[in-house]
Amino acid sequence: MPRFYHDDPAWSDVTPIPQLESGQVLAGISYTAEYSEAMSYLRAVMAANEYSTRVLDLTEHIISLNPAHYTVWLYRAQTLSALNRNLREEIKWLNPTALKHLKNYQIWHHRQTIIDRLGSCDGEQEFVEQMLEKDAKNYHVWSYRQWVVRRFGLFGDEGERKWCEGMMERDVRNNSVWNHRFFVVFGGLKGEVEEGLLKRELEYAQDAVRKAPQNECPWNYIRGVLRQAKKPMSTVKEFAKEFADLEKPDEVRSTHALDLLADIYEEEKKNDEAKTALDLLANKYDPIRAKYWEYRARSLDSAAVEA
Amino acid sequence: MAPDAEESGILKISKHVSYWRRNLKTYLPHHYTGTDSNRMLLAFFILSALDLLGDLDAALTDEERHEYVEWVYNCQIPDGGFRPSPGTYVGTARNQQNAVWDPAHIPGTFFSLLVLVLLGDDLKRVKRKETLIWLNRMQRPDGSFGETIGQAGRVEGGNDTRFGYMATGIRWILRGDIEGHVDDVPDIDVDKFVQCVRDSETYDGGISEAPFHEAHAGFACCAVSALALLDRLPVQTSQQKDQRLRGITDLPSTLHWLVSRQTLTLEEGEEDEGEQNGDANPSKGAQSQQDLSMVGMNGRCNKIADTCYAYWVCAPLDVLGHLHLVDTQRIRLWLLDMTQHFIGGFGKLPGDPPDIYHSYLGLFTLAMFGEPRLKEADAALCISKAAKERIESLPWRKAIVEQKI
Ligand SMILES: [Zn+2]
Repeated sequence: MPRFYHDDPAWSDVTPIPQLESGQVLAGISYTAEYSEAMSYLRAVMAANEYSTRVLDLTEHIISLNPAHYTVWLYRAQTLSALNRNLREEIKWLNPTALKHLKNYQIWHHRQTIIDRLGSCDGEQEFVEQMLEKDAKNYHVWSYRQWVVRRFGLFGDEGERKWCEGMMERDVRNNSVWNHRFFVVFGGLKGEVEEGLLKRELEYAQDAVRKAPQNECPWNYIRGVLRQAKKPMSTVKEFAKEFADLEKPDEVRSTHALDLLADIYEEEKKNDEAKTALDLLANKYDPIRAKYWEYRARSLDSAAVEA
Repeated sequence: MAPDAEESGILKISKHVSYWRRNLKTYLPHHYTGTDSNRMLLAFFILSALDLLGDLDAALTDEERHEYVEWVYNCQIPDGGFRPSPGTYVGTARNQQNAVWDPAHIPGTFFSLLVLVLLGDDLKRVKRKETLIWLNRMQRPDGSFGETIGQAGRVEGGNDTRFGYMATGIRWILRGDIEGHVDDVPDIDVDKFVQCVRDSETYDGGISEAPFHEAHAGFACCAVSALALLDRLPVQTSQQKDQRLRGITDLPSTLHWLVSRQTLTLEEGEEDEGEQNGDANPSKGAQSQQDLSMVGMNGRCNKIADTCYAYWVCAPLDVLGHLHLVDTQRIRLWLLDMTQHFIGGFGKLPGDPPDIYHSYLGLFTLAMFGEPRLKEADAALCISKAAKERIESLPWRKAIVEQKI
């Protein structure tokens, strides 16, 4: 049922302000009568800086019609604080709203404002999990989770890392989970990466590769961990060779292993081997990126000339 | 989904023209309400698409052009900058106390300026000085830019590279890429912004919205384009090195990440094929069975292809001078045969109805690839080269840029 204000006695004291534009307009939208009227009342209350319970209802109504309207969210946040509202109640209202509008960004910005004011992240991890049930790669949700980790100091937290492992079991190809693990493990780290940590992270990613050798995520993770620890790529040479051995060019099990080997051979100044790996990628195993692999092979030559 | 052989690989120019003319001349259906607070973005897409198609002059009468220009200037805020739609304007009721609810807006300002240029305006009525002062206030102490200024001067909105990109775009239009004071207005803190971009580079070579967030082609594109507009990309071998801080600390990794966004996963449901039980054999997929004539682009690792990512991935490659690292012919074919719609425009995925956002970015990508019947494109500003040249030729702007040389 559409909701209107012009015949609502609770709003009879307000003169709505219509959208002020005339003549030829750009990107005009055929608003519904309901949205059009609600916005006219919003303009009127904003012009008067009215912060009241009915304004909260009005913002809720407009959000249900257009959750991407950033001004409405900002006005709502200000109203909550002017009325000194119970912010836990706000979170209760926000939960189903967020679940309904999965792709919306403003909801998360608002949530962040409220949780920051509350100063406690009780229940937040559970709620995030609920959102991820619906859309496990939702960028805003992961960004929000990272904000929670930062704001409430959950770096290096065992629970957060274990939770990631659970998410990974559901889908080892979900790059958001890999990124979150990297963030939790290395995001709060000061100073050097200790050997034990390096070993644990490499082994974790290597196990994942064994489950699905063509999955790009753990290979990127391995490179990232090595770079973070300032170790050469050749640290994992033997591992990469399990999936791509130049001696057995017909049995390559992962293009990412070949790619990594090409880098390792380049690092070791074995340009012929590097070239063989790049040729296999360009011509046999990853022809959709042929132009890139050929470029890499040419770069080997020019690097050799310069040296 | 794919058309017959004789229809394959054809840009249906007249369909696109009528699609965009319809968007220009008639009210958009109500499902665009979700973009109500960003109408200037839609206006930009509509006018710029017609510009790329070479139809803008024919589509507008002088009278319409004049009225559109007035409509945009009505969105200008007295203290500088533009609102992104008339939705927050309260007319004569506007005062010091309620002005905070009708603020200037970074995307609103960037797209207003571009729309004015597309309409042939010389930007002389833009409150240039006020806008540049406001732009400085939009930068946070950490170097990032927000969307608007809210209560108590707080910079609202995310701190990702999208707003940074548009802020550098506003700066480029209003004062070129020269650094330091212009007309007594100090510059933004360019070094701090560049540092922000550097900190957003990810472990896999991509760029994200903030340190340690997941790499995403949209943020990568905005970051690279912003650095280009600031003249802070890595030095080319032909260039003189200088002391200025530059972005993209590891160019080979970033190129690697960008080309890795090419995918053969073109439709929903294909995502996990062969990987579930861990028996993936790359040769099985890549060599024989799979059709290599079309290549799609995704925005993140292990996501499916989506029209808009053709732009978000190929634009930074172009800006970095490395578009030749991807096979543009195959990407072109994917756009034309899979996501181009028979009524004109492009959908997000094969079979999807067209929407303004995907239709513009699909068309722009083809222009960037040198599609013969489209105008040449400038990847960083996401407009035609001709429109960019019009900005550069504005007399007042030339005076600023040349004065500094
Ligand atoms: Zn898209």
